Amino acid sequence: MKNVSVSKNDLKNKKPTSKLFRSEYKAAFLFIIIPVVGFLTFSIIPGLISLYASFTNWNGLGVMEFIGFENYVTLFNDPYFWITLYNTFFLMIGIPIGLVLSFLLAVALNRKIAGRQVFRVLYYIPVVSSLAAISILWQWAYNGDYGLVNQALDIIGIQGPNWLDNTETVKPAIIIMTVWKGLGHSMLLYLAAIQSVPKTFYEAAELDGASPFQSFKNITWPMVKPITFFLIITSIISGSQIFTEINIMTPTGGPQYSSATTVWYTWTQAFSNLKMGYASSIATILGFLIFIITAIQFYINSRSQYKLD
Amino acid sequence: MINKKHVLASSAMVALLLAGCGNDSGDSSSEGSDDTTNLTFMFRGGPDEREIYESVVKEYEADNPGLKVEVIATDPDQYMTSLQASISGNDVPDVFFLEQGSVMAYVDNNILLDMTEKVDELGVDLDNIWEYGVDSYRYDGEQIGEGPLYALPKDVGPFALAYNKDIFEESGLEMPDKDVPYTWDEFVEVGKKLTNGEDQWATGMNVNWSIHSFIWSNGADWLSEDGKTVTVDTPEFAEALQYFVDIENKHNLTPSTEQAQTLDTYQRWMNGELAFFPAGPWDVSTFNDLDFEYDLMPWPAGSTGEPAAFIGSLGIAVAKSSENPDEAVELASYLSANIEGQQKLVDGLIQVPNLIDVAEEWASDTETVPNNKQEFLDIVQDYGRNLPAARTYTAEWYDEFFINIQPVLDGDQDVKEYLEEVQPKMQQLLDNAK
Repeated sequence: MKNVSVSKNDLKNKKPTSKLFRSEYKAAFLFIIIPVVGFLTFSIIPGLISLYASFTNWNGLGVMEFIGFENYVTLFNDPYFWITLYNTFFLMIGIPIGLVLSFLLAVALNRKIAGRQVFRVLYYIPVVSSLAAISILWQWAYNGDYGLVNQALDIIGIQGPNWLDNTETVKPAIIIMTVWKGLGHSMLLYLAAIQSVPKTFYEAAELDGASPFQSFKNITWPMVKPITFFLIITSIISGSQIFTEINIMTPTGGPQYSSATTVWYTWTQAFSNLKMGYASSIATILGFLIFIITAIQFYINSRSQYKLD
Repeated sequence: MINKKHVLASSAMVALLLAGCGNDSGDSSSEGSDDTTNLTFMFRGGPDEREIYESVVKEYEADNPGLKVEVIATDPDQYMTSLQASISGNDVPDVFFLEQGSVMAYVDNNILLDMTEKVDELGVDLDNIWEYGVDSYRYDGEQIGEGPLYALPKDVGPFALAYNKDIFEESGLEMPDKDVPYTWDEFVEVGKKLTNGEDQWATGMNVNWSIHSFIWSNGADWLSEDGKTVTVDTPEFAEALQYFVDIENKHNLTPSTEQAQTLDTYQRWMNGELAFFPAGPWDVSTFNDLDFEYDLMPWPAGSTGEPAAFIGSLGIAVAKSSENPDEAVELASYLSANIEGQQKLVDGLIQVPNLIDVAEEWASDTETVPNNKQEFLDIVQDYGRNLPAARTYTAEWYDEFFINIQPVLDGDQDVKEYLEEVQPKMQQLLDNAK
């Protein structure tokens, strides 16, 4: 850290003259340029094209014709857009559930229980597995007749529904699956955060006569707060983009579109219905919403930041 | 100062990189040695299908020295996305599979090569290919079915009805006649006798793939003749949909709705629990391995007295932007209409042959299962039709019909009410497409 700040000052004050420094500077520059080029090529430029396309009637095949705000007017009057937006946010109910579960798991697996390494690996396996493969497996598991879920329910005498073909059960089914899939990732981050809390804090708290709950509330929870914040943001962003699970498990958007998400709808409009311009306007609105939500979260977090210096 | 230089250098690098990305489409063919012609062929299919197509293409390469075919194969669900990405990137493959429903949009946007003349020059005998298959890819700028030819059929996929012979034998009922279809009343009557509601039902049909036969054979349709008006609000249409709903809800001939999703009824059929089930040529290899005997029969006929069924198809098209259009059309014709090429595909895939004479020979073999292969040919030749969206700009209007249909199938919503509600929405989507 010290070296970096020194060279920063050098830069400000005088032109670097050392040959070594300059060649290193060049090498560093090359390293930096790679992600920048990637970001430009795959994010900024397509993003701008998509923004422009949202003001055209482009079908994805031919030429773009500028039509002003027409797509946006259609969008606000399109019931399916609102249904899919509602579904997308509904599915985010899984986020707090997943956070609580993964935190509890992390606390449990932080203790010295037998086979905790095995458990850690078990919970992490879904994270490294292919999402497409997992979606297919869960699709089978949710099958009404032969699915694992209903067979398990059958043992305790409950006749399960046909999960993915029912407007009432399809959303919970997908929430359960996404929670299960994300659990390992959040758990690992929480585990790292919990382990990095200095032991001395707890010793001090114990000396002061704090109950386990009090030390949890006043030490552990605030200490892992940045992780919680990070997880909430990343989960909301990835939750708004949920697509693969939906497209594989309910290829037609579920019964009466009850599991169709915004990105799934965008994709359908763009590629099945040849409305790339319209799809771009949906994508633009979704991107804008994600931006606002993230900005609000940063604002709230910056007001209640817990710093350990 | 250094900063400025670096900015310049970096922007130059970016520009170079971008230029590099965009340029390779045009050069790829000229970079090869002088006498080599390079073609790209993009298609979709399951693992088996890919393997067979790749081997057929290899054989074609061997017969045509100096020709190199780069094969790009994708999964069926990713195909449309990949193809459209290649179009947006101005790097359309020379030869590619085309969905029926894409013909209008692709022709209007100047993507497809009009291959009428070249196919003629090559001496492809179009009269020996199913008329349905060829006409699906003719488009005159207004309607599908007439005008220049933009693709050759990769296959035709008649959707027939199969029945479980063992169930019929056990019940002592007479086997379905292969030439005289059941009337709707007869179908319900026979169906009731074959249903015990425990582990045996008459049928279990997925609305998305089975409703057509009922609608059409009752004289109704989704679209008017000219393809401009959505006609789902006619009394014939309502009657047919009502019949379809009644099979399940009133006559209880099927497993309940919750269980009637394709996978489940498909499993039940394979377990021998269903007496009737739809079957396409692509099902034959699987169905032949089942523990029971089956055969094909005509779909039950509604008020017109004639059975109806849909035929799917995929086309093989050539890009207008192809640098070697002659070779590309040749490859397309080979895949679609060459006797040896077809034979390999037919042997390997169990698809209905594209060539009528090969197909007739194939169907005349009544020893192998299913005995009544002729039913497939009858559908292609006589009573089959294309799916409604195959002759419109996109399928959005047609998909709308199915999105909210579940309450109707469950008997929770009145058929007529639903059709009157959905017609204007479909009409609007149809009008807005293009």
